[in-house]
Amino acid sequence: MKIKLPVYTVCIIVIILLQSTVLDYIKIYNVKPNLIIVFTVSVALLNGNIEGAIVGFFAGLAQDIATGKLIGFYALIGLYLGLAVGSINKRLYRDNIFVVIFFTFISTIVYESAVYFLWSFRSIINGQINLLYPLKAVILPEAVYNSAISVFVYIFVIKLTRTFEETERT
Amino acid sequence: MLNLIKSKVFLIILLTIVLLVTIALTANSNSKLNWIGNILSVPLSPVQKLFSAAGQKIDEAVSFFKDIEAIKTENEELRKRVSELERENRELEAFREKNEELRKALNLKDRFSDYTVIGSNVIAKDAGNWFDIFRIDVGTRDGIKADMPVVTNSRGLVGRILTADVTSSKVISIIDEDSQVAGWISKSGGHVIVRGDFTLKDEGLCRMDYIAGDIDVEVGDIIETSGLGGIYPKGIVIGEVKEIRMINSEFNRYAIIEPAVDFKGLEEVYVLK
Repeated sequence: MKIKLPVYTVCIIVIILLQSTVLDYIKIYNVKPNLIIVFTVSVALLNGNIEGAIVGFFAGLAQDIATGKLIGFYALIGLYLGLAVGSINKRLYRDNIFVVIFFTFISTIVYESAVYFLWSFRSIINGQINLLYPLKAVILPEAVYNSAISVFVYIFVIKLTRTFEETERT
Repeated sequence: MLNLIKSKVFLIILLTIVLLVTIALTANSNSKLNWIGNILSVPLSPVQKLFSAAGQKIDEAVSFFKDIEAIKTENEELRKRVSELERENRELEAFREKNEELRKALNLKDRFSDYTVIGSNVIAKDAGNWFDIFRIDVGTRDGIKADMPVVTNSRGLVGRILTADVTSSKVISIIDEDSQVAGWISKSGGHVIVRGDFTLKDEGLCRMDYIAGDIDVEVGDIIETSGLGGIYPKGIVIGEVKEIRMINSEFNRYAIIEPAVDFKGLEEVYVLK
């Protein structure tokens, strides 16, 4: 536990830095990947719901602070993302890379839909909601992009987890 | 075991409530709670500056190879354009002198003379894909406060300060869904609202609503800030009308505005204090 805290802190800070700077210059179809979702999903799949929830919460909070409109918005969604993904994992074979790709894809769709719906609450009440455009322009491309990147992030998190286990043993 | 599960559930519910409260409180951009932002933003802003510069370099390097063909043809076009502009410039010079004379005669004040201009660099872009919030490297120690207008060096409207931390601040740009600017059609004279639209954001455009039925709007009309609402001073150029769209009838219409600012390549902005 002692080593996990600083390592996760550094990971989250690096992710936020990349997310708000360099990634903006490598957009594909005007969409950039969301490393926060990918990292949270990977951690939750490998280390369970509590760790997933904690990482999701702090990564979300960091995003809120970096460029969010409200403090707590992404933290709340991240918390439940980590919790939900980490709770499902027990019945699935975790070392299968397709499980990770599948979960990242589904998580991105759920997460980004949640962001869109929560934020467009007023427009929904006014009846002027556009469902197809956000799906086509942001949610689906980002889900594909995230899924592709999840392979690398997952391998990285596996290595992290093994290092944690080894240091715990010694 | 039951106690543990219970305590976990309890913790999550508690955390959810705390977060809902912070969300509600930070909805007011002058809220004291925005101080939380300083925990991360103060140590991170120098690093963000570095990362942003690296990103811009990558971008420049990639586009250098991509653009070489395009640059050749563009060069030819530009040469033609330069000679055209030189001629036009001479004509305008005459107008400028005339204008200055008339201004003096009317005793008009410079519309920005009441403001101090603070230069700043963009150090971080929005982390997600939905909004258009970015971070600049000046903060409360430079005298920045929430709701100050932000412009470019050519005085096109960028947006306003959302929240200010000690060393950096968040800016909400006019193409963001939650931005609304009171506008003024400078040719025909009419009040409008220019707001960000999610479907137009990627192209760097925004939309203009509440165009009264008796107002003439044409493609190419310049839209300025009207000064209503108290955030933006009067007379900052927002952009020009790109397209007018009708909803059902001729009098129910909105327009697409092409802002004077290119939000993709934004690197330096100025805060009006």
